[in-house]
Amino acid sequence: MFKKVLIGNRGEIAVRVIRACKEWGIATVAVHSDVDADSMHVRLADESVCIGSHQPQNSYLNIGAIMSAVDLTGAQAVHPGYGFLSENAKFAEIVNKHGIKFVGPSAELIRKMGDKIEAKKIAKMYGLPIIEGSEGSVKNFDEAKKICSTIAYPVLIKAAGGGGGKGMKIVEKESELENLFLTAKSEAKKYFGNDELYIEKYFKNPRHIEVQVLSGKNRTVHLQERDCSVQRRHQKLIEETPSPILTEEVRSKLLSSTVSMVEKLGYEGAGTIEYIYEDKKFYFLEMNTRIQVEHPVTEVVTGIDIIKEQLWIAHTGNTALQQSDINPRGHAIECRINAENPSKNFQPSPGTISVCHLPSGFRTRVDGAIFQGCKITPYYDSLIAKLICHGRNREEAIQRMKRSLDEFVIEGIDTTVDLHKKIISHDKFINSNFDTNWLAKEKII
Amino acid sequence: MKIDKKLIKELVDNLDEFKLSELEYQSGDTKIKVSKWADISSANRVSETTMSNEKDVLSDEEVGVKIKSPIIGTAYLAAEPGAKQFIQIGDKVKKGQTIMIVEAMKTMNHVPASSEGVVKSILVTDGQPVEFGQTLILLK
Repeated sequence: MFKKVLIGNRGEIAVRVIRACKEWGIATVAVHSDVDADSMHVRLADESVCIGSHQPQNSYLNIGAIMSAVDLTGAQAVHPGYGFLSENAKFAEIVNKHGIKFVGPSAELIRKMGDKIEAKKIAKMYGLPIIEGSEGSVKNFDEAKKICSTIAYPVLIKAAGGGGGKGMKIVEKESELENLFLTAKSEAKKYFGNDELYIEKYFKNPRHIEVQVLSGKNRTVHLQERDCSVQRRHQKLIEETPSPILTEEVRSKLLSSTVSMVEKLGYEGAGTIEYIYEDKKFYFLEMNTRIQVEHPVTEVVTGIDIIKEQLWIAHTGNTALQQSDINPRGHAIECRINAENPSKNFQPSPGTISVCHLPSGFRTRVDGAIFQGCKITPYYDSLIAKLICHGRNREEAIQRMKRSLDEFVIEGIDTTVDLHKKIISHDKFINSNFDTNWLAKEKII
Repeated sequence: MKIDKKLIKELVDNLDEFKLSELEYQSGDTKIKVSKWADISSANRVSETTMSNEKDVLSDEEVGVKIKSPIIGTAYLAAEPGAKQFIQIGDKVKKGQTIMIVEAMKTMNHVPASSEGVVKSILVTDGQPVEFGQTLILLK
């Protein structure tokens, strides 16, 4: 195993990786910006190096400074966490070129899967269903009609140069198409000076479902799916596993086709394939070539430490796991605790945590980097902790989550704790009757 | 047991006088502990505030219309690196016009001019950390 690993990240994920390293007996190096000198990941690591000022591009995105820290400390591998440089192909390439192991897939695969069009092509080639639509722009109404009849209504007309919802039209049935197509075209011309239009399938009630994989040169295994459909502004807020809405038939198809695709890809490391799910069908969205925020729900039901496995695969090239080792038990839910004020449209809430009490107890896990007196600076992501509860079934996991949220005390800043209490007590959440647009539409706060 | 309010008051006064965060007093079976958490964090905040001495920076005749940061974060003078600055000294600005961006936790907050005027001075540099309520520019 590696003797020393540098963690190129901060916050809760840096703490998470340091813990996994320690359990492998690996020495750890934290890097930090000047304002993070007193943060938890710096305190827990064996060594730490300040790599620059508060702005991410000067520190956590500063490849030169991180490479100097690697050189200075003699680290043999770099774990990038999520965000920052974790999906930066150039960084992975530079790390590997210097004989240091980048904990993740090859730079080439990061680049390929990071390119949306390329990733979609690859997914299709390796047998995954993709979101149907026009390939390139639609020239005229006749072509639009033909495309729409193959992908089936409802469809979404989008302006090639568009954004902010302008020039977007939802077409429910064919009789509406001509009118809406022409309106979209003239609006696109007016707003963007470009009347090129695309057409793709429109999802009315999409769920976000993703599959966790661990893959080495020898084989690929899946660790079941996660359902991440409680979102605000397209960012996940609550994740759970297993998905409460998948039938066994759909689930087994989803898992087997994902494994088959990742195997063909020749992927090494932990990865997640994200899908849109609607009407018993799933559609490839993208692949994340890194660890994800919500990985703990999978860990608690499978009993597999995904970060430790990542390190093992990085070291040996192979996964030690067989599919038969993965026997998920029960149900797990994660609530993201963010430093923001849900009643003020999720306005960021930096400040000093004056009182901090973390929930604990049976099958309750908190992954975080907060403590009494710590400062939440405005320079980075608002995620400060994750609360993960495991139950024999979904009902018990919800009960445990309620109990744990009631124990959670954070004073000095606003957080999403109270919002989570309302969501998980809501009938729609309990009955799993929601989609990714739910929070935007429903007044919960 | 009777609560000795006078003693508690005296202990609390001592906290302030000696700038302590916590004080424990024991006499026989009675133990009184007074602590002040909230105050410590606010005290820290004040001492770490870069703008707390705004008066030192601005003399009286310099007072114009102050446009202040609505949030703690990083100030940016332009929409992206290398792009044109939102405002220059001497520019005429309209009420509501964006004069700066303050980024907090990956959220870009546009700072609008609270009134009309001519930009007299820009008090922060690009990428500088700013506090809530810190004066960003002066208008005359």
